[in-house]
Amino acid sequence: MNYSFDFQSISFAPLWEGLMVTLELTAAANIIGIVGGFLLALLIMSPIAVIRLPAMLFVEFFRCTPAIVQIVWFFYCVPMLFNVFLGSMTMGILALGFNLMAFNAEAYRASIQAVFREQIDAGIALGLNPFQRILYIVLPTAFRASIPVLLTNGIGIFQQSALVAIVAVQDLMYQGKTLATETYRPIETFTVVALIYFAVSFPVTQIVGYLERRRQLLMS
Amino acid sequence: MTAPITPPLVRMQSLHKSYGPAMQVLKGLDIEMQPGERLVVIGPSGGGKSTLLRVMMGLEKIDRGSITFGGKPYISSDGLDKKTNIDTEVRRSIGMVFQHYTLFPHLNVVENLILAPCKVRKERKSDATERAVGLLTRFGLAAKAKAYPAQLSGGQKQRVAIARALMLDPKLMLFDEVTSALDPELVAEVEQVILQLAAQKMPMMIVTHDMWFAKNIASRVIFCAGGVVVEDGPPEQVLGSPKEERTRDFIDRVFHIRQ
Amino acid sequence: MALDFSIILRFQDALLLGLWMTLKLTLICVILGCTLGFLVGLARTSRSVMLRTISGVYVDFFRGTPVLIQLFWIFFCLPLILGIELSNLASGVIALTLYMGAITSETFRASLKSVGPEQLDACIALGLPRRIQVTNVILPQAVLRAIPTLLSNCVSLFKESALVSAVGMADLMFVGQNISNNTAQPVEVLTIVALIYFIIAFPLTRAVSLIERRILAKLAI
Repeated sequence: MNYSFDFQSISFAPLWEGLMVTLELTAAANIIGIVGGFLLALLIMSPIAVIRLPAMLFVEFFRCTPAIVQIVWFFYCVPMLFNVFLGSMTMGILALGFNLMAFNAEAYRASIQAVFREQIDAGIALGLNPFQRILYIVLPTAFRASIPVLLTNGIGIFQQSALVAIVAVQDLMYQGKTLATETYRPIETFTVVALIYFAVSFPVTQIVGYLERRRQLLMS
Repeated sequence: MTAPITPPLVRMQSLHKSYGPAMQVLKGLDIEMQPGERLVVIGPSGGGKSTLLRVMMGLEKIDRGSITFGGKPYISSDGLDKKTNIDTEVRRSIGMVFQHYTLFPHLNVVENLILAPCKVRKERKSDATERAVGLLTRFGLAAKAKAYPAQLSGGQKQRVAIARALMLDPKLMLFDEVTSALDPELVAEVEQVILQLAAQKMPMMIVTHDMWFAKNIASRVIFCAGGVVVEDGPPEQVLGSPKEERTRDFIDRVFHIRQ
Repeated sequence: MALDFSIILRFQDALLLGLWMTLKLTLICVILGCTLGFLVGLARTSRSVMLRTISGVYVDFFRGTPVLIQLFWIFFCLPLILGIELSNLASGVIALTLYMGAITSETFRASLKSVGPEQLDACIALGLPRRIQVTNVILPQAVLRAIPTLLSNCVSLFKESALVSAVGMADLMFVGQNISNNTAQPVEVLTIVALIYFIIAFPLTRAVSLIERRILAKLAI
């Protein structure tokens, strides 16, 4: 290998700006995903087929197609189909948010359905009405159980957000690409960019691991 | 008293075992077991009964003490270098059945039975299968030969587990609370099988909470509490009119609960 | 707006070629990635601190960064470092294999851990030697338990493979984007592309839950 490294020529200012955009995308998409995902979960568990089936189709479609296809589709097709023209940042947030909604809806559904039958029976035995049973027993238990998955999905969308660079949203990935081209220093730039992504995701995955271990301990 | 002509089947000498400094489970056990004896170990939870069986099977290390089996050294630890010597050759003549069946879930019943004979004793598959089917028939499980453990009831699983251990022709069988995980109506079928073995003079060491079963199967009962043997004698004595205060307390409480 | 899906028929061959590239890439990386993942999974449970550390850093790093940047790194940086030209396909295979290896290693590790200690007790009580314990008791159960998750890992890989379009590999996504740019009919073309991905991935995810139920039912002790 005869490549001489030169980290000096990497200017961190644009990367910092890009990181802020990435974090903003992640945070906004997570708000949509956590709130919208919950509502969507209620829809996919509805006993009424007309409500349930479209919601399930939405979830399955987002889970079974590549995120990059979703994002490109969103950026090209939504303006043409619906005649709405939004800023690229808003588009990015919506595309990522919808994707996360689908994944979070599955997480909510799984944990709501995993609330043990005995817990609900105990609620009935204590004389709680159906609404109270859902409010005081099912939802708190289910929400707590879904936190690790929500966090995992949330950090997943942080990583997936790099895809919006392809449609010219100026996030961390985009700034990295630009910098690599301008400086002719792809190795240094992409390595630094990868490390920045890693530095944000890794602690979150560690927290998830800790939460899951603690949960297993509490359950056993 | 005349000295026995044959050496004792099992001789445990000053067995010590702890899980960390705060938890001493066995505090110097000395137990001798003669061939043909059926030893039932009873006592409160945490008294060291299951640990005793697990040590006997060579599943646990010990801190100090020794066990001989059929006169041969089997397990020993001098307490100095934290090392427990286990003679695996001797270990193969002991069989054990656990509370939670521990059948291999990915193998069917016959495959569970013949795995060890084929792999350990290099027995031919057809011979082992023939013996397995014979044992299963004896235990009323012939129809389940090709079933997977998940398709069996708890009682059937436990009978398969017993058959699996018998495939290696053990000289001693260990039963660790084998009916504790079973629904009450399934307990009898497992106990019947063990009684059947007892009728054939199979030496066994049994840990159980079932006092009716203890009375019926035991040739000798040991009451173990706090990591030591509190009382040791024939079942009529230990279960019927115990000499020791602590044994009496325990027996009273157990029977009181049952009434 | 009027949609005209018949345009797809004109580009049928190109799309099929793209799909073939996607499937080929996925299949190669499934095989290589699962093999790598299995070895890394074993390395992570090994007694050697060195093996554990190296495999741990590899997995953490590949799971902690976007696949897109991994791909960029391997396309643009690896040839510079190695000082050799890498074909697009080779780069794509390396990148996606490393990604697949990282995620499947976690699957293998979790399934190895899921074989409980009481199974080992039973092995000892039956006098099974260590080698037989591993090959006849632990590995078969671990692999059985891993199958459903491995299948979802494959679906993930299939989806992530669309990223290679961003570095100019002519997969389904790349072909689709090209057609959509040239014909100015992105709605029709991109929708069809999305549907093709969906038609392949969806049945696989159904199969995952089906197989999962069957395996769990079989292994329930």
